[in-house]
Amino acid sequence: MFTTRSARQRRRALALTSIAAAGALTLAACGSSGEEAGAGSSDDGDAADGELSGTVTVWHYFSEDNQVGLMDAYAEKFESEHEGVTVENVFVPYDQMNSKLVSSAGAQTGPDVVVFNGAEAATIALGGALAPMDDYWADYADAGEFPDSVIHQIDGTTYAVQGYVNLLGLWYNAEILEEIGVEPPTTLDELEDAMAAAAEAGHDGITLSGLPQSQGEWQAYPWLSAEGFTYEEPDAGALEAGLARVRGWVENGWLSQEAVTWDQTVPFQQFTSGGVAFAENGNWQMGAAEADAGFEYGVVPLPLGDDGQVYLGGEGQGIGAFSENPDLAWEYLASTYYSPEGQVMAVEQVGSIPARADAAGDDAVSSNPLLEPFAASIEQYGANYPAPNIPPAAVADVQLTVGQAWSAVLGGQQQAGAAAQATVATLEGLLAPQ
Amino acid sequence: MTTQSAPVGAAAAAVRTRRTDPAGRTGRRRPRQVRLLFLLPAAIFLGLLSLFPLIQLLRMSVSAVTSATLNQSWDFVGFENFAEGFATGQSTEALQRTLVFVLVVTVLGMVLGLAAAIALRSRGRWSGFLLALMVFVWALPPVVNGSVWKFLLGDAGLINTLLLDSGLRDAPVPFLYDQYWALMSVAFVNSFAVIPFNALVFRAALMNIPPETFEAAALDGANRWQEVRHIMLPAVRPTTLVLLVLTLVYGFRSFDFIYVMTYGGPGTATNTLPFLGYLQAFVRYDFGLGAATSVVTVVGVLVLAVVYARSIRREEAES
Amino acid sequence: MNRRSGPVVVAVKLLLTLMYGVPILWILLTSFKSSADVFSTQSSFLFRPVTTAYVEAFDGALLEALRQSVVIATGTTALVLLLAIPAAYGLARTRGWLPSLGLGLLIVLQMMPQTATVIPLFQIFGRWRLLDSTFGVILADAALLIPFATLLLRPFFRAVPPQLEEAGSIDGASVLRTFWSIVLPVARNGVFTVGTLIFLLAWGEFLYAVNFFLSPGSYPLSALLAQQVSAFGINWPGLMALAVLTSIPILVVFTATYRLLRDGLTVGAVK
Repeated sequence: MFTTRSARQRRRALALTSIAAAGALTLAACGSSGEEAGAGSSDDGDAADGELSGTVTVWHYFSEDNQVGLMDAYAEKFESEHEGVTVENVFVPYDQMNSKLVSSAGAQTGPDVVVFNGAEAATIALGGALAPMDDYWADYADAGEFPDSVIHQIDGTTYAVQGYVNLLGLWYNAEILEEIGVEPPTTLDELEDAMAAAAEAGHDGITLSGLPQSQGEWQAYPWLSAEGFTYEEPDAGALEAGLARVRGWVENGWLSQEAVTWDQTVPFQQFTSGGVAFAENGNWQMGAAEADAGFEYGVVPLPLGDDGQVYLGGEGQGIGAFSENPDLAWEYLASTYYSPEGQVMAVEQVGSIPARADAAGDDAVSSNPLLEPFAASIEQYGANYPAPNIPPAAVADVQLTVGQAWSAVLGGQQQAGAAAQATVATLEGLLAPQ
Repeated sequence: MTTQSAPVGAAAAAVRTRRTDPAGRTGRRRPRQVRLLFLLPAAIFLGLLSLFPLIQLLRMSVSAVTSATLNQSWDFVGFENFAEGFATGQSTEALQRTLVFVLVVTVLGMVLGLAAAIALRSRGRWSGFLLALMVFVWALPPVVNGSVWKFLLGDAGLINTLLLDSGLRDAPVPFLYDQYWALMSVAFVNSFAVIPFNALVFRAALMNIPPETFEAAALDGANRWQEVRHIMLPAVRPTTLVLLVLTLVYGFRSFDFIYVMTYGGPGTATNTLPFLGYLQAFVRYDFGLGAATSVVTVVGVLVLAVVYARSIRREEAES
Repeated sequence: MNRRSGPVVVAVKLLLTLMYGVPILWILLTSFKSSADVFSTQSSFLFRPVTTAYVEAFDGALLEALRQSVVIATGTTALVLLLAIPAAYGLARTRGWLPSLGLGLLIVLQMMPQTATVIPLFQIFGRWRLLDSTFGVILADAALLIPFATLLLRPFFRAVPPQLEEAGSIDGASVLRTFWSIVLPVARNGVFTVGTLIFLLAWGEFLYAVNFFLSPGSYPLSALLAQQVSAFGINWPGLMALAVLTSIPILVVFTATYRLLRDGLTVGAVK
């Protein structure tokens, strides 16, 4: 799989798209970027003294081949740098990850390193499963390369940092767009016109996830924010407009109402099997697109207008609260997820966007035409995930509430207006400072 | 279950036994007492491993427990969790859905389970194969069965394709994404998953009927319905009771098919009590609220359990 | 019993064959598809069969997981039967408030959501140093399945005519011997059926396995199956292929016990 991807990259080799680097630089600009740290200078500090030994246990929830391959490559990299150190990657099913972490913490045990859904940092940190990372981070020479949006702080303490970000873009089926004679859309109106034309020609308009939970909320937020909805000032009118717009797509036959049963994977599998003009999906699908799509395809930023926002998601990496060797755990992170080489490996293997400013400028990013629109999205629409003003303990509640409203409207269980009113009422309770 | 009270209870049981026993049996105190000792190993084992989780669940339901306080001491909040569940209307709606869901699962599960057991009682290749097939499917994990049905019931799935191609319908049936259809679909798939189990147990009960009974009935010229009514139904009666309880319990605690097929959606249309409890405890990490929802369900089933115990007593009085 | 099947019986059998045959067929077909074909050929038989999913499923971990599944399922079945058979017999043959309370408690335990027991059991096992051990998982599975097995076995023991036992005890046999040599053989149909069910349930249980094993090296097959589903998607052919592979032992066990059940018929029919 890896070889085919490289081959494709060579085939499609385009000139460096400066936007990719620019996007990542914007990311960095939010942080305290200042000096230009030399690539690879970070992980050789403690490595030389050779005192480190033992086993690093890493809990993760990856089962997709490329992502597992990246974990293996990281383990190999760290082991080759440190004699006598073993890295043990432990798969925990996604559904079980948080409860297993929290119950382990209750028994005073747990992994050395946790790789988890960044959005759930608050739940895991509040559950006592993560060790504070402030000391390591303060001494980390390259900390300036990381933007604020990838640093997970709960009540002023840093618990995790993300080595990369994942976000949504608008995938399009180039053959269908050519058939109906439209360019990839840059505004919501163009998108809707294109979907109408595609439906006219007997195709489906778009696929996305309408699942009543956090995945649904993550997919809903761009469209809701495009109408002016935010969590800083939740407005029922804006929420209603956003929900009603996408419900309209269902009623027009552009989006299947079946979307309410789709997680984020199924709609992309629908897209790659053909017959659908657009898919709202993430950069992590590059491998799937390459493997399964039998047509020409491309990506543009979601056409969200001036107000639109796209969450910057991805996995957070932290040190287990009951790690017996937190120094070694930190070295592992510094050598893999946080190092420029490690981040480039992630680009090449999985197609994720590096968090480091210097790594984002690497050839691996700039030579990949599919990464360009995602990098542009970061610059144009990038938003913290979850929204910073949501109290940590309420994050899961907020996501579930909005996800259920999204699903209820798409599935015709509720009218957009009623759902928006009820949701905003619930949100006001959840968002109030506690 | 304290060991001290065991002999007392046993003695009482023995006394009552002697009084209600039909003639022919002399009351023997000792064997009755001894038989209670048969309960001891299981009682000790469950006392060690199951009582603590049960107590924790009860404690949780009257405490404020989140992921932040799970591993610390819990604040007692009384019945706040219960009140919150019903005040937001979530529990009430979920309760109604659960009742509909359980009704469908139980009726389909019991009727088709018994029908399957009767149909599969005969030997022969088809019966053997079908029984093996059903058990095979039953033993598959819910994520596999649920996913398969999700595909089969989808717009492009086999069932809708057949309906559309045969001209029976112009548009696909919204099995999983219409609020009413979705509840029925998950209930159907849950009964699909419980039928093999019920069939197997019913069948084991049917096989205890001595062949001579059927031969005698055949000599008397009984037709098939009469065989079912007068021989098979009485034979499966004790099993029916326990299966009914187990099927009800299964319906009241099942959430994995809902998780796989609809995740409670569209919106909240398939949020039954067990799924609501799951969402509260493991998605929102409000363990107290989730525990309260579970306790509500357990209490509901306890009512059924009392009915069960009553009918058992009646059954005993008759025997 | 040897009469020819009537039309109603045939209709029921046909319905059931369709109801259970179609999903199995779909599972088998999908396991031979490439992941690109899963969605494009959802309701058709026309696709190029590939065995990729099976080739990928066969690695060293599979055999280790199979061994682990056998140990867990066998251990659990043995432990459950050891405790539930006497308990069910005791409950079937005694009366009064104590057995009633016992039955009620069993139903409550059967009602407990499994997710609610994971965290308390984790704490207990942490204290007893049973985390990350196969024995711990067997204990947890047994605690999960004993209420179920006991409730299910009770009617089978009740169906044993008390006269048989009384005949035994008149001969001077102890309660234990009467139980062992008279009651148990008569109730064997029920015991075999329940034993099979327990084995299958223990085989498929994965929540405890995933939570109480700290390293995936000890995961049983059921936990491997859970790996096919992740936040980043489901490997449909892989899931279905592994489901087929992990269920083949189930089929073997069931076919074996099915024979026993059939042969046990004449022994079981005592009156």
